[in-house]
Amino acid sequence: MGRVLLVCRLAVRDLRRRPAEAVLLLLAITAATATLTLGLVLQGASAQPYQTTRVATGGPDVVASVVASPGGDQLAALEALAGAPGVAGHSGPFPHTRLVVKARGVTTVAWTQGRGAASAPVDQPKVTEGGWVRDGGAVLEASFAQALGVRAGDRITLGDRSFQVAGVAVTAAMPPYPKICFSPCMFGEHQMAPPTAPPVSAPREDVNFGPPGPNGLLWVTDADARDLAARTRFLGYVMNLKLADPASAPAFIDAHLPTSLDTPFLASWQDVLYGHNKMIEWKQVAMLVSSWLLGMIALAGIVVLVAGRMADQLRRVGLLKAVGGTPGLVAAVLLAEYVAVALLASAAGLAIGRLAAPLLSEPATGLLGSAGAVPFTWSTVALVTAVALGIAGVATFLPAVRAARTSTVLALADAARPPRRTAWLIGISTRLPVPLLLGLRVAARRPRRTVLGMAGIAVAVAGIVAAMAANAHRFEEKAPGADPRTALSQVLLLMTVMLVAQAAVNAICITWSTALDARRSSALARALGATPAQVSAGLSTAQILPALAGALLGLATGIGLAELLDDDPVTVPPLWQLTAVVLGCVIVIAGLTAIPARLSARHPVGEILRTELT
Amino acid sequence: MDTVESLPIVSPILRASGLRMRYGQGSGIVHALDGVDLDVATGETVAVMGASGSGKSTLLHLLGGLERPSAGEVWLAGRRIDGLGETALARLRRTAIGFVFQAFHLMDELTAAENVELPALLAGQSPRAARRRAAELLERVGLSHRAEHLPSALSGGERQRVAIARALSNEPLVVLADEPTGNLDSAATLDVLRLLDSLRTAGQTLVIVTHDARVAATADRLISMRDGGFVEETRLTHGSTGRLGELAGLEG
Amino acid sequence: MSQAVGVSSKEPSDGYQLRVVREVLLALLAKEASHGYQLRARLQLALGPLAEALNAGQVYVTLTRLEKAGLVTAERVGQTDRPDRKVYELTAAGRERVMEWLDDTSWPKPAPAEFHLKLVAAAAAGLGDPGRLVDTQRHAVLAGLAAAQRAALAEPADSTAGLLLEGVVLRLQADLHWLEACARYWTPRKDR
Repeated sequence: MGRVLLVCRLAVRDLRRRPAEAVLLLLAITAATATLTLGLVLQGASAQPYQTTRVATGGPDVVASVVASPGGDQLAALEALAGAPGVAGHSGPFPHTRLVVKARGVTTVAWTQGRGAASAPVDQPKVTEGGWVRDGGAVLEASFAQALGVRAGDRITLGDRSFQVAGVAVTAAMPPYPKICFSPCMFGEHQMAPPTAPPVSAPREDVNFGPPGPNGLLWVTDADARDLAARTRFLGYVMNLKLADPASAPAFIDAHLPTSLDTPFLASWQDVLYGHNKMIEWKQVAMLVSSWLLGMIALAGIVVLVAGRMADQLRRVGLLKAVGGTPGLVAAVLLAEYVAVALLASAAGLAIGRLAAPLLSEPATGLLGSAGAVPFTWSTVALVTAVALGIAGVATFLPAVRAARTSTVLALADAARPPRRTAWLIGISTRLPVPLLLGLRVAARRPRRTVLGMAGIAVAVAGIVAAMAANAHRFEEKAPGADPRTALSQVLLLMTVMLVAQAAVNAICITWSTALDARRSSALARALGATPAQVSAGLSTAQILPALAGALLGLATGIGLAELLDDDPVTVPPLWQLTAVVLGCVIVIAGLTAIPARLSARHPVGEILRTELT
Repeated sequence: MDTVESLPIVSPILRASGLRMRYGQGSGIVHALDGVDLDVATGETVAVMGASGSGKSTLLHLLGGLERPSAGEVWLAGRRIDGLGETALARLRRTAIGFVFQAFHLMDELTAAENVELPALLAGQSPRAARRRAAELLERVGLSHRAEHLPSALSGGERQRVAIARALSNEPLVVLADEPTGNLDSAATLDVLRLLDSLRTAGQTLVIVTHDARVAATADRLISMRDGGFVEETRLTHGSTGRLGELAGLEG
Repeated sequence: MSQAVGVSSKEPSDGYQLRVVREVLLALLAKEASHGYQLRARLQLALGPLAEALNAGQVYVTLTRLEKAGLVTAERVGQTDRPDRKVYELTAAGRERVMEWLDDTSWPKPAPAEFHLKLVAAAAAGLGDPGRLVDTQRHAVLAGLAAAQRAALAEPADSTAGLLLEGVVLRLQADLHWLEACARYWTPRKDR
């Protein structure tokens, strides 16, 4: 009992002796645990919304669409498809047209499909809000409704007619806005058959294909659809097919490739799923990558902090051993300290992760599944706590082992780690102005710490640049309204904010350790005639130079990362943005390091040299 | 950049009056210095002797502008320095004061030559001039052959000689030495004393605080301190060695 | 309070009499026979600056006495351009005397007892302020230390005499430490 009390008392004393370091350590571990929590939670959230939606709506295996030509036999072609071998059921053909939609100030284009009041056996969109189609009442596909920001009861204009929004529904027949696509648009990997014969008919001058661009999807009554088609002079048909073997949909399409615009275009459910997955994938990849990046930065910060404390602790260990403490007691004190910090950090990290998760875990728009249903299991809690305790364990283990190996006398005598000598850097610094001279030498004293600092900044900048590249790509082809693809920017923004925060904590950790470590040499430089301004500028320089190198490295890595993660050719963010990131990074680091550097440089020299003596 | 100010050489070059220094507050207040007056003439070597805790290191820090006194005045070369800001003090240290510490306080990652040239670089001299000056000084302290060694490869006496060379880098008006032999054995002490004596002979103004009577005995003037104040002052004349035989037990 | 102290100006006009000079001369002759001149030079080398004050004639007077006591024998050697010189050689009795001296462990009388009793007596009799006596003594010792230290600094690094001077310095340093303890004890304090 007495021993436990002693261990606790010593641990609390030590933490209180260096409160700022304890707080920084807490912040660093919290950031790591929060990210980990988010990552774990989001992985669970990405269930199978498409499959759920497919089952709930009787999703088609193949969607066939065709543009009607005056006097053409397109309907017969669709009927023939319905009777083709392997087809187990169908719905349609439904008439549809393509027209300009105006709602709440947004103008875009939508495929408008005519549906009956009766439920279709294949692809019956599931109403999630309001009711089904009625005369003068349209039902909007969910992602489209969200992009336009309309709800049941709102009014929209289709072509030149005004409609009421009767409801909102989800379908498994099409990918979300703005990638909705019927003939003559083509998507998926199966497109036109090779031109074996000349086109059956001349280019279609009789049909108005409407304006090009992104497309939404909505449903109206059959009569309304035909009326709108007549007004826009564009009529087409859609038929949804159910196959006996859904897996054979691509093969079915290969067997029925269109030969001209007069023959039906087919798309498989796999093509649709691909379109949906793309959305989820982006989010997941973004979260996964950012949690990795954050973890790396957090680890760098923790390593620097623990290593910085190690020298100090080694001396304490020597003291404890000198007065009769066993290595076991010493290790227990260290462990008690880190376990306290780790437990606090994992609690904070779990809370933050839990609160932030609903912001990111919303299912892909246009599918079934409810927001906020975040699986927050005991296993998540256990894993996060275990990781935090693992960090505490490693942080204890290294000094404990070193302390056990180091003789008491040595631990007492040789408290500080001897600085490294990097001769060429010292040589170069001789030729530079005083702040740079001091800064380079401070950086050169602890090359590993400098590299860690550089790596931290590089990782953060890489993440930010990759986010910017992804964002730039999304916005380059952004559709009118709230393009669901830009919902990703929310994730990217959060990722950026967390990276910046984590990198900031990291920079403070590193500057703090550096300032502590360089206390004596800074005081000495001042005794030899360096002004406080030169010394604090030197300490800042020691952080800014690696930060600049890290930022440039991160820039290249970030663009590479975006290239790697995105199938489409990468969009390099504008030069001014990249410059702003690098400059901003340097300015932020300068600002963050200025305070500890200034504080340490203001301390009276005599006092520092005196305490270093005793 | 900072130009090397040339301060007039006046006598006394260094003067302190009514110097007081308090640390802490409330009941834990400590009077490290309690009203000290001191004049140091140009070219004079003054030793301040006292037990540890007598306030002698504090006095040296105040004279060198490393700390500011709670009360009293410090004048260097006819200029009052106790009220100067940190930056002005740093510039002053750069040009007018050289420090020698008990713990040597060399930069561990720098070679002997790099340590010696540092003050010159801080004072804005060219790398070439600083390097040349460092070579000269190392020659003067007899360590030319150790110029490229790191402090860890030098003996205690050698480290302190490097530190003295560093203190001389900018030709200071006053060299302030805090227990320069405190960490040295008898032989190394003799080496350092020889070096300090050669500085004295060359006319360098020196203030040495020490608890070692041997160091104090080489000074022109010896001041004893007790409990933060001066208790006595002794002028040591440099005379004959007449009584040495008796001291050595030669006569009976 | 300020006062100047220096090395005492009272110097013996005839120089110091070397107390152990007989034994030293005998020991120096133990290896081989020597001239008086050579013996004197070796003494000077060992004593360094301390030899300056040595009575010039002491070596020759002592050698004559040793010859009379039968501890050495002397042989006159002729020189062409100068007066004859004597070469001295150790006798068996002389050799015995040298061995006795080398085995002797007596140490020069340490100062503390005498000075301590002086302080106690002065205090008891109310004849003087012990603190003042201590101060005066300290100044005297300090002056001696200063002289010895300067002499030590003037010697080259590997000098034999330097070793002697270091011995003087270290002993005086010890005396000063003890005098500081005396000062603390005898300086009037309010609580005593």
